[in-house]
Amino acid sequence: MTRPVTLLALLVPSFVLAQQNVIEISGANFRPMPIAVAIPAVQDDAARKTLNEFDSALMFDFSACGLFQVLDRKSYLAPPTEGVVASAIGFGKWSDVGAESLVKTQISSDGETLHGDLRLFNVAAGREDLKVSEAVPMKDARRLAHKLANAVYKHFTKETGPFETRITWSRKSPTGRDVWLADWDGHNAVKVTNGDVNVIPALVPGGGVAFTSYRQRKPWLYVGKPGSDPVLLIGKAAMVTGAAFSPDGKKVAVSISEGENAEIFTANAADGSNLTKVTDTKFFLNTSPSWSPDGKRIAFVSNRAGNPQIYVMTAEGANVKRLTFQGTYNTTPAWSPRGDLIAFTARDERNAFDLFTINVETGKIARLTQDASNNEEPAFSPNGRLILFTSTRSGARHLHVMTFDGNNQVTLSIEKGDYSTPDWGP
Amino acid sequence: MSMSSGRGAPGRTTMSEINVTPMVDVMLVLLIIFMVTTPLIQQGVKVNLPETKAAPVEASDKKLVVSIDRDRRVFIGEAEVELKELEEKLKTNAKAQQDKELYLHADRDLAYGVVVDVMAAAQRAGVTNVGMITDPMGAGKVSKPEKDKK
Repeated sequence: MTRPVTLLALLVPSFVLAQQNVIEISGANFRPMPIAVAIPAVQDDAARKTLNEFDSALMFDFSACGLFQVLDRKSYLAPPTEGVVASAIGFGKWSDVGAESLVKTQISSDGETLHGDLRLFNVAAGREDLKVSEAVPMKDARRLAHKLANAVYKHFTKETGPFETRITWSRKSPTGRDVWLADWDGHNAVKVTNGDVNVIPALVPGGGVAFTSYRQRKPWLYVGKPGSDPVLLIGKAAMVTGAAFSPDGKKVAVSISEGENAEIFTANAADGSNLTKVTDTKFFLNTSPSWSPDGKRIAFVSNRAGNPQIYVMTAEGANVKRLTFQGTYNTTPAWSPRGDLIAFTARDERNAFDLFTINVETGKIARLTQDASNNEEPAFSPNGRLILFTSTRSGARHLHVMTFDGNNQVTLSIEKGDYSTPDWGP
Repeated sequence: MSMSSGRGAPGRTTMSEINVTPMVDVMLVLLIIFMVTTPLIQQGVKVNLPETKAAPVEASDKKLVVSIDRDRRVFIGEAEVELKELEEKLKTNAKAQQDKELYLHADRDLAYGVVVDVMAAAQRAGVTNVGMITDPMGAGKVSKPEKDKK
């Protein structure tokens, strides 16, 4: 009896190795995985009412995250009534449309709660790789889709998915500009402010949004939440802009202008106390701070060399180092939560604004956008895999999302409008 | 031919390069002769005769197969589709669009026009390579795929 046991012991490790299929997202050989997302199966009428919301959120998550090539539903050969378990699925029909993975979902309702099941199949092997079940209140069909999509993202990347994160932006209103808070796909948007001019929002790690508002005539920094009045955080000198919170949430960096010049300050994030001047350059502007993920360094924009360029310094203002040497206009740095890259807006030789990344250590620059009107104001997803930005490619400034290397540029399916300065947080 | 010998260089200098001008002349004439004669050689009607004894093409199961059975029903793989849907199904099919090829598996008793309709649909959908599946040396009639017998 010992021989079969030894054989089994030899087989098990190789089988386990074969099971690990982590999608490596970076690198020249990256190819989005062809995935078929079947039309969700609906169990009852109450669930049917949420089908459109659920399905559109699910499809957006899969198609915008950059991991997958979502196959066109018009090409599907399996009947829409096909079952959701492996034994009921004709995998040949899915491999004939080019699918390597197949996602089947099913939603049902018990009056109060919406239940969702998602199964992920390996089409070539005809095997169920993942099964997740989630439940949410009836009105949160989109969140149910985001939760299920996150499980698939985690299955392939071993990283937390970005689909339950939040974004914020400033949008033109009849009376000025308002700050909004929304899901990562731009849906479920709620106003944080109501009236006046409110710009440059930044998500506060503990909840809420910090933004510069003219509500007391002077552009000072406030923190607000939907449904409550904003609270003044830093009100000093002529102008307080460009708030950025350190990753641990304890510090806030801002740019405060005092007449001729503007300097970077840091303060306690909770109450704005302990305001400390970090840069000190008479007659020059220092703006747009962005923290490194370890909270030890700050990237910012300064015109001390004659035109705006990206600089890096420690959080105390030491070791100031110029990062960009190409072009005459480089602004809005955003430090990737992965630490390696800083995305920024640059004006190129044709006077178009486009997005670039620069590697902090090597200084290697990569172009992300080109020939698509003006693209500005990058913001990284909390996992550093995606970039949210504004673009005028389809008229007014609108929000778009792409992977950190500029692939898979997708327009957020939200109302048209003049959107600016997006920020992205957990 | 002018040779630039350095000013003040004593005596004669030898020309150390190959004189390429005559070679280029000859090559150019040869090139023109070949260009003129090549089309002449290729005249005549060209017919690719069916080669029944040819080695079968390695049709791996990963390739897309479109089948037409004796009742003129059209299948992509194992799934039946309407002929009028075929173009859109192939146009949106990621596999067909990536490979740009499919294999046609048609019953031998079918009218030529039916097969041509399917091939035309494939071509409109951008599938440029259509391979024909045959049974080598009349081993039997082409039958429809197993799983679609209902």
